[in-house]
Amino acid sequence: MQTDGHASIYNLIDKSLAGEISGQEEQSLRQHLLTCTACRGYLDASNRAIAGLGGFAFETDPGLPDRVFAALTIRAAQLETQRLSHRKLAWSYVAALILTLVGSFVAMQLGDRFAAAFSATHQQVQLGLIAIWIVPSVCFCVLLPTLPMMSKRWMHAKGLSL
Amino acid sequence: MTLAATESEPERIARGLRQRDVALLQSLVQQYQCRLVRYFIFLLGTRDSVDDLVQEAWLRVLERGRSYDGESRFEPWLFAIARNLAIDHARKRRLFSLDSNDDHEPASFSPVSSTASPFEQAARTEDARHLAHSLQSLQPAYREALVLRFQEELSLQEISHIVGASVSTVSSRIYRGLAALRQQMDGGSHAN
Repeated sequence: MQTDGHASIYNLIDKSLAGEISGQEEQSLRQHLLTCTACRGYLDASNRAIAGLGGFAFETDPGLPDRVFAALTIRAAQLETQRLSHRKLAWSYVAALILTLVGSFVAMQLGDRFAAAFSATHQQVQLGLIAIWIVPSVCFCVLLPTLPMMSKRWMHAKGLSL
Repeated sequence: MTLAATESEPERIARGLRQRDVALLQSLVQQYQCRLVRYFIFLLGTRDSVDDLVQEAWLRVLERGRSYDGESRFEPWLFAIARNLAIDHARKRRLFSLDSNDDHEPASFSPVSSTASPFEQAARTEDARHLAHSLQSLQPAYREALVLRFQEELSLQEISHIVGASVSTVSSRIYRGLAALRQQMDGGSHAN
């Protein structure tokens, strides 16, 4: 079959099959196909090739959907647990932050009253508050965000990672 | 009117994925299982590991479902996930490069096997049997473009989004793939 005289029409047929032909091009293609046997042959061969692509029936493992469902159910449960622990962690962080702020406020504003109540100096009360309240709260604030990473490393080390 | 009655199919899927609705995922698995298997086989040219990849693809859908916005169709998003998995898998096995930007580069992977190719095994029609050999030797990128366009009936834009290439590259792959198949169908009389 001679292709030289029909190359531009073959190109249009390819464009049409790929889905990028314009309305005007399609119209001129239709008109050409009415009179040209060679180009109709090219289109038929292309359509046969495309139809041939639909002639494959790949066998699927009948047990595959059940395996996928089981894996999805387990993974969904793991993700839910992870989400809840992240939420708990977020609340713990907020609590630690509030404790830090309240502790600092108490140390600054109410140090004198505590000093009078416990017969201590203002400085001693502040040091006590820093030691038993503010420093632990700040430590929680700093350490909490690293917990998921540490737990992931620990699980990985133990071979428990997902 | 209820929310379910007004939302489109992609929106319904997006909502289900955001909620990690396992029942929705199960129905999607049933609906898309054969199509995913076919896509992986066209992409990789082998049946090996396809079941594992299908399972992994659905786990990724579950994990990353929140990134699907429901504004576009679900299929391109699903096939993009599947494609990334297939590329990772192929890289690990060093079989071939789907990322190659050079469409003229010959396929660097042609499985040498005494058994029939997955295409030969799956051919159910005379035309499919004619195409099976040609498909096996065709570049994966061409096979992929053909299956996405003519089996999944995706638009060029959607395919372009999945493969991360321009629309003109995608159409060029379709033309070349079609040319190879046509040649096989009619003994080369229409070769460009």
